Amino acid sequence: MFKPPLSFRHSEPDLRGLADEDLMPLVHDGDARAFEVVFDRHADAAFSLAYRMCGRQSTAEDVVQEAFLSLWRSGARYDRRRGSVRSWVLGVVHNRAIDLFRRESVRAGRDVNADGLVELMRAPDDTPGDVQRREDAEGIRAALKELPADQRHVIELAYFGGFSHSQIATMLELAPGTVKGRMRLGLTKLRIALEGPSGALL
Amino acid sequence: MSDAGPTSESRHCGGDVAAYALGALDPHEVDAFRRHLENCAICRDELAAFGEVVDTLPLSSPMQQAPADLRRRVMRAVDHEPRHAPAQRRTAAARPRQTRWTLGRPALGFATALAVAVAVFVGVESNSSQSNGARIIHAQVSGRGTAELKLAGGHAELVVHHFAAPPAGQIYEVWLKRGDHSPSPTTALFSVNVAGDGDVDVPGSLRGVSLVMVTQEPAGGTTTPTNPTVISARLA
Repeated sequence: MFKPPLSFRHSEPDLRGLADEDLMPLVHDGDARAFEVVFDRHADAAFSLAYRMCGRQSTAEDVVQEAFLSLWRSGARYDRRRGSVRSWVLGVVHNRAIDLFRRESVRAGRDVNADGLVELMRAPDDTPGDVQRREDAEGIRAALKELPADQRHVIELAYFGGFSHSQIATMLELAPGTVKGRMRLGLTKLRIALEGPSGALL
Repeated sequence: MSDAGPTSESRHCGGDVAAYALGALDPHEVDAFRRHLENCAICRDELAAFGEVVDTLPLSSPMQQAPADLRRRVMRAVDHEPRHAPAQRRTAAARPRQTRWTLGRPALGFATALAVAVAVFVGVESNSSQSNGARIIHAQVSGRGTAELKLAGGHAELVVHHFAAPPAGQIYEVWLKRGDHSPSPTTALFSVNVAGDGDVDVPGSLRGVSLVMVTQEPAGGTTTPTNPTVISARLA
């Protein structure tokens, strides 16, 4: 009896109606169309992160391509107990960029005004998931903005720049303990801001 | 957080937790800090809380639209790389999925990762035997657990038992080493279930391969090993 290939078992409109967590088992089973839906949902966030970290459009594209293809090749072994699909995808992108830094000494902050990039504006056909993600993004941006600049700086250098605390200490001419202390204070305040009922930093 | 908690060491560890969560500890500090985590419940709790915060940081990036050409390139590659070859699909269907690719719970993964971090390389000599027409190579394993490489019909499969799960955000990656060349990455990435069991098909030809090895790497894998070998099966 004819069995359709996996990639044709679901029509695309059906797939686009599925939650991320329900798409991942299909991706695991080799459904390229389900993978395409996952890519479409998270490619902008992935590219935004890679671009922020690498500072170059071409490098950011390479990082995102490598990250998504590694997810595809590895069978996308996502476990929902580890958090959202988006966090998982972005974690892979982050790791790929850090890996690139280690190999090629590529760092953030280069060509950050490269032409050809389009900053996303609020679209009229946002889904509820898009709206939630935008609210989450606005929340963390506001929390970061409220941090003292010295704490925000060391956190951003570490996470987006891939620098170790001792490298940051050298760059900023600070004691390593000072850098670690600022990281801890900053993360503590972010946690309180993100978890607090008022959303305000203490 | 106070560093003087009942399970905390006297050293000042609060700053290390934040730096570790941000991936900013220097390489030589990581192992020592992981050992400290084994005995410091306060740091473990704080790390869990900081980890959630760090997970939100990517969202703070200004949102950019991914170039349309990037989508075309990725999907073209995906369409040209159907992931499951027929033989692999049959193999996969023959096993319950949860024993094949179950990822450990974060807490379990974290605890067992500590075991990996402090493990000494246990000297189980590689040797081989025959079973049902398959050649079985008993691999060297770092830390607890066992690993076997099964060779049959030109196909290789790595099977592990009672093996430590990788920590959150990490996965085991299989590499093929030929002679004096650097290890080549494969698409074989795996984790283990709560019992520490797992198996993975080793893709590609083993022609000229002298060593099949496994390292712990960031999710998605890397192109060069960044961590010590935890499984080593010698073919030559």
